[in-house]
Amino acid sequence: MVASLLIAIPFLGAFAVPLFGLVSKRLSHYVPALALLANLIISIVLVPQVMSEPIIVSIGGWAPPLCINLVVGPLGLLLAILISLVGLLVAVYGVNYIQEEPREKYHMLLLCLLAGATGMVLTGDIFNLFVFFEILSLSSYALTAYNKDRGGTEAAIKYLIQGSIGSAFILIAIALLYGLFGTLNMADIASMVGGADSTFLFISLALLIAGFGIEAAIFPLNAWLPDAHSSAPSSVSATLSGIAIETGAYAVARVTYTVFNADGIMTLIAVMGVITLLIGEMSAFRQKEDIKRLLAYSSIGQMGLILFAFGISTQSGVFAALFQLVSHTLAKSLLFLAVGYMIYRVGSKKLAAFSGLGRRMPVSSFVFTMAAFSLIGLPPFAGFMSKFSVVRAALELKDPMFLWFVVLMLIATVIEAGYFFRIIQNMFFKQGNNIEGVKEAPLSCLVPIGILAVLIVVIGIYPQLVSGMLKAAAQGLVERAAYIQYVLGVP
Amino acid sequence: MEILYNSMYYVGAAALILIGLYVILVKSNLIKVIIGIHLLDTGVNVLLVSVGYIKGGKAPIFTGTSLGPAQFVDPIPQALVLTAIVIGVGVIALALSIAIKLHEHYGTLDLRRIKELKW
Repeated sequence: MVASLLIAIPFLGAFAVPLFGLVSKRLSHYVPALALLANLIISIVLVPQVMSEPIIVSIGGWAPPLCINLVVGPLGLLLAILISLVGLLVAVYGVNYIQEEPREKYHMLLLCLLAGATGMVLTGDIFNLFVFFEILSLSSYALTAYNKDRGGTEAAIKYLIQGSIGSAFILIAIALLYGLFGTLNMADIASMVGGADSTFLFISLALLIAGFGIEAAIFPLNAWLPDAHSSAPSSVSATLSGIAIETGAYAVARVTYTVFNADGIMTLIAVMGVITLLIGEMSAFRQKEDIKRLLAYSSIGQMGLILFAFGISTQSGVFAALFQLVSHTLAKSLLFLAVGYMIYRVGSKKLAAFSGLGRRMPVSSFVFTMAAFSLIGLPPFAGFMSKFSVVRAALELKDPMFLWFVVLMLIATVIEAGYFFRIIQNMFFKQGNNIEGVKEAPLSCLVPIGILAVLIVVIGIYPQLVSGMLKAAAQGLVERAAYIQYVLGVP
Repeated sequence: MEILYNSMYYVGAAALILIGLYVILVKSNLIKVIIGIHLLDTGVNVLLVSVGYIKGGKAPIFTGTSLGPAQFVDPIPQALVLTAIVIGVGVIALALSIAIKLHEHYGTLDLRRIKELKW
């Protein structure tokens, strides 16, 4: 029952923010950080128990196929830890960074977003997956428009239109699945999926992938992402890039692996991943003006890499995909958080304005460099280990097609290195103008990005820290029979 | 014609979904696009309800012992639709409030003219 607190605490926090605001405005800004700290502690405490056996929480006291249930397996818990960790750091950062009123609404929406993301990764019911997905996307539409400026509102309406088409597709797919099987429990659907009419299954799988693919920014469904991630406030960009799109990828993986057992489309997913990777990285390379837009395109590229690794469809492939997901979350949220204060201090999003910042904001620039190196995949950072495991998993297949995919992936890595080195060179080796008065970011920014940087280095040097959990998570995703057995309790 | 008549509800749902998609894709006025989103949502809701419908079925409320479970329509899709309607209201309300802000900034609701963010 403790596991359901992981969803309940952020929601309670969200409703408590305005109540605390009645007592003291200042106090209410710390509510998200407290709620997420509680979440982080609970989820870490649950780790040993979950590693031995997944926790099934049945709500209402009915047995699993009838009730709405939560399945806290290694994969769900891993992502819940990641969400509450990054969420906690973003919440700490947001206390000072967000100055635009009404600040309570920002904190409420952030908590709702994180609660939706946590719910998505923990639920075992496909309609609940949709509901939590809607909570996540509704709060991210609103947060994108939080600054109420020209760019933000335009990006938000684009995101909203595309996102609501995606959620309608998901709901159509759920209606088809309910019509076919008469159940909404993912394990129950998974146990019956073998004997069903393949046309309807194919249609509903395609609709689900398209719907969640919009959130995961799979090419050609990625049009909203560069606008939304670059126009939102930086702490929101960090949450969207670090958490929201990852949960989209999780949903795609959960649906294809566990629910549908769709081995046949895995190659297609790998192809889409490679295309997304190349398009994202090339667009980022072309981007010479706006640094946040560049990082947003880089997120598309990284999502493509994660998807490609999921498409390898062996256990080591899924392991690599999850590892890449973890390292991307840490690095990209660090980049957005660091860039937030750089833009604030310099007063411009233009890449050229960042010249010479290495002297004025040494700590921020240094950790920015570390995260960029990790994304490129340089040792000793976490990105090296994750990219290495992707390459190894792809080569283990001994399939000439995947060999070519690896070649394309390495080309994309070179492109990635090209644009990140350009920014870093700009920061450290060029003379800037008009940056005399620029100060280092405050402690509320340096502490979160410092923690993220330490994690990136520690995971890079000592990957055993996460690899045990990642292996169990990958196993939980690939071995669907075990998942069904745990939830339904019958062999 | 017979098939069309027997699956009337599905045909209606599909028509609403397609009309909604058409409006979203073709119209350039933001308010019309939002109406399109709403039509799409409604079509999906009709689809969900018709999945659980039994011809001549009663509302699933137990009032006595005269009716057995077989005479009721399936209540679960109706619960789902209730949730989906609430979500849809939230999305539409947010979309309309963003539309107000867009009109303040751009002085127009024509989506072809709101394109400052580009590749």
